[in-house]
Amino acid sequence: MKTFKGGIHPPGQKSLVKDNAIVEMPLGSLFFVLTQQHLGAPAKPLVKKGDKVLRGQVLTEPLGFVSVPVHAPTSGTVKEVAKKVHPVTGLLAPCVVIEADGNDQWAEGLPLERDPFAMSAKDLLSVIQGCGLVGMGGATFPTHVKLSPPKDKPIDTFIVNGAECEPYLAADYRLMLEQPDRIIKGTQIIMRILGLDHAVIAIEANKPDAIKVMENLVPPEITVESLKVKYPQGAEKQLINACSGREVPSGGLPMDVGALVQNAGTCAAVWDACSRGIPLIERITSVTGGGIKEPKNIKVRIGTPLHEVIEFCGGLTDVAKVVFGGPMMGIAQYSPDVSVMKGTSGILILTHQETNIDTFSSCIGCGRCIDACPMSLNPSILSKFGEKGMWEKAVEYNLLDCFECGSCTYMCPANRPIVHFVKYLKTLQREANAKRKEA
Amino acid sequence: MINAVILVGGIGFVAALILGISAVTFAVKMDPREKAVLDQLPGANCGACGFAGCAAFAHELTQNENAEMACPAVNEEALQAISDVLCRELGGGTPMIAFVGCKGTPEKSITRFSYVGPHDCRAAQIVAGGAKACQYGCLGLGSCVDVCPFDAIHMGEDSLPHVDDLKCTGCGKCVDTCPREIIRLVPANANYCVSCISRDSAKDMKAYCQVGCIKCRICENTCPFDAIVVVDGNAAIINQEKCRKCGLCVSVCPTGVIEQLHVQAKAYIIEEKCRGCSICAQVCPVDAISGKPKEPYVIDQGKCVGCGLCIEKCPADAVERLSI
Repeated sequence: MKTFKGGIHPPGQKSLVKDNAIVEMPLGSLFFVLTQQHLGAPAKPLVKKGDKVLRGQVLTEPLGFVSVPVHAPTSGTVKEVAKKVHPVTGLLAPCVVIEADGNDQWAEGLPLERDPFAMSAKDLLSVIQGCGLVGMGGATFPTHVKLSPPKDKPIDTFIVNGAECEPYLAADYRLMLEQPDRIIKGTQIIMRILGLDHAVIAIEANKPDAIKVMENLVPPEITVESLKVKYPQGAEKQLINACSGREVPSGGLPMDVGALVQNAGTCAAVWDACSRGIPLIERITSVTGGGIKEPKNIKVRIGTPLHEVIEFCGGLTDVAKVVFGGPMMGIAQYSPDVSVMKGTSGILILTHQETNIDTFSSCIGCGRCIDACPMSLNPSILSKFGEKGMWEKAVEYNLLDCFECGSCTYMCPANRPIVHFVKYLKTLQREANAKRKEA
Repeated sequence: MINAVILVGGIGFVAALILGISAVTFAVKMDPREKAVLDQLPGANCGACGFAGCAAFAHELTQNENAEMACPAVNEEALQAISDVLCRELGGGTPMIAFVGCKGTPEKSITRFSYVGPHDCRAAQIVAGGAKACQYGCLGLGSCVDVCPFDAIHMGEDSLPHVDDLKCTGCGKCVDTCPREIIRLVPANANYCVSCISRDSAKDMKAYCQVGCIKCRICENTCPFDAIVVVDGNAAIINQEKCRKCGLCVSVCPTGVIEQLHVQAKAYIIEEKCRGCSICAQVCPVDAISGKPKEPYVIDQGKCVGCGLCIEKCPADAVERLSI
């Protein structure tokens, strides 16, 4: 079975939620739509307090190519444009607060009927940007940018990422099981945009029924690849390495080796956007963990506050930590008012038993992190540099190739927060670079 | 036994001979002034002067005729000694000390979440912008304590760093380290400093801190010397050049955010010298001086704040400070 070098085998914990069919969450009354839900240039709000908005209406104007707008998740009135807690940065960020009117009325002309296969690649790309599509696995990089590679770097391999290697999460799995045709059609549209005649849907072997469903439905130009169960199998560079044997060079991007990876959820959203003009205003996410009464896979509008999601899932039992995303790479939340974003692939309510809130000690030099690192880095020495703030030295040890998967931290017997050190070193490096640019 | 003594003694003698000869032949010629200057420098190698260490700076001072005194940590005595060695007058700046601009103890300011991770403010800052609800507040993990080369900062029981002003030399290492720019350098003789750098409004601040500057401007309106201002949404700023150390701002501040660093000596009137001209009573900003014309005036020690205006204005030099 195909895989990459390194990686770890954390307990899957998927049984909590993987057999629960997707349920649609009833419409709430207040929505907090953050204006920046993507990586890249910010977007400027187009609405102001008191404006009436309709479901799917554009709320922001992207400033630059690497930027996408956000849309109103439902119809209602703009209560305010204020600063609210951003689930990724944890800081206050501009946010459009919408008070729903309950009618859930679509914006004019939506949803429309059209044949996306009759549209040109350029039109499709502008639809994808206009509908605010970003990578829904969690990184939230604008999809249209990924689909517009420069001319000297043509793409010949397209991989749909259905690995979902993070423990606990099962949102992509349910999507593949329940709505496989959306993913397949979205894949075909992306193939059309890139002019490809072949694509791969890569799924981890712990989802045999999803593999079977996909294999029965895919047209001959798409193959389904079963991957070894290992974390981080779904990481972009590891997935490319497993499926095609190519290695993305240090500091490079997948397009440097002619590869492109899109999350299965993103492909489904591409189909909705291109065929019916529906912007990205809802997503499927797993609400799971030992601390929630009724773990569910929910279809939820972007901007729904966390406390409403928790209420819908029966409330909390014991909670030590709330995480947006998976347990390995997700981001801990401290406020019940944060809202679901485009990149929220899961909402984990972890109990004290499931978390490891403990002090750490010195590196004992056992080397387990080195074995686990999927990027073949030396996390042990990076963490030591981190303690001393020696970012220049860390950069020599390829600090910037680390994508913070957390395998090293998971393995560390001394409980060292290695990823935290890496993030800290990267911050120091960024600050120093900014200072140098100023001078 | 005698053989052993001769052998070891002989080896020692030969080695001493070699060392003695090489000490003379291979001696590195060093400006004797350099050593004298180096002896006067603090020797902490903090790097605040911009050189690799005290020795490198001593070399620069002796070899470069135009080199200025860049060491912020050198005291007046040492400065004089160095000036004597170099036979030129070195201008020393105002001695500075570090001041921590936050009074938000865990009891008085809200923490948003419990932070787990490296015990370093700069590392804690990247986790959702730090655990303190106030984005200008001290994170209390003591990165400043770790970098201080003079052992002049210590964490207090209130989880805030405290500067030992006898040890602090104003090298500025803690200022560079603090990720929230809470620590700043103030003149060592400054008496009053505002322990808050928040730019948040009073309404926002009320939600998370009881000891922040709420920009009420009472201090600005009270100060008789226009030395304290609240501008551009910043916390109150004291102009140390204008400050007469009267301490009125401290007494009126509703949140107690202005800190007194030293005790100010109060004034008294020498009866024999006083002509009873009443100038002192007119200039006193706190009405502490009273008396009848042509008779010696009296300063009410309970009211006097030690601003020293009367001392300056008295035509008969009849007012002096009490010694503390």
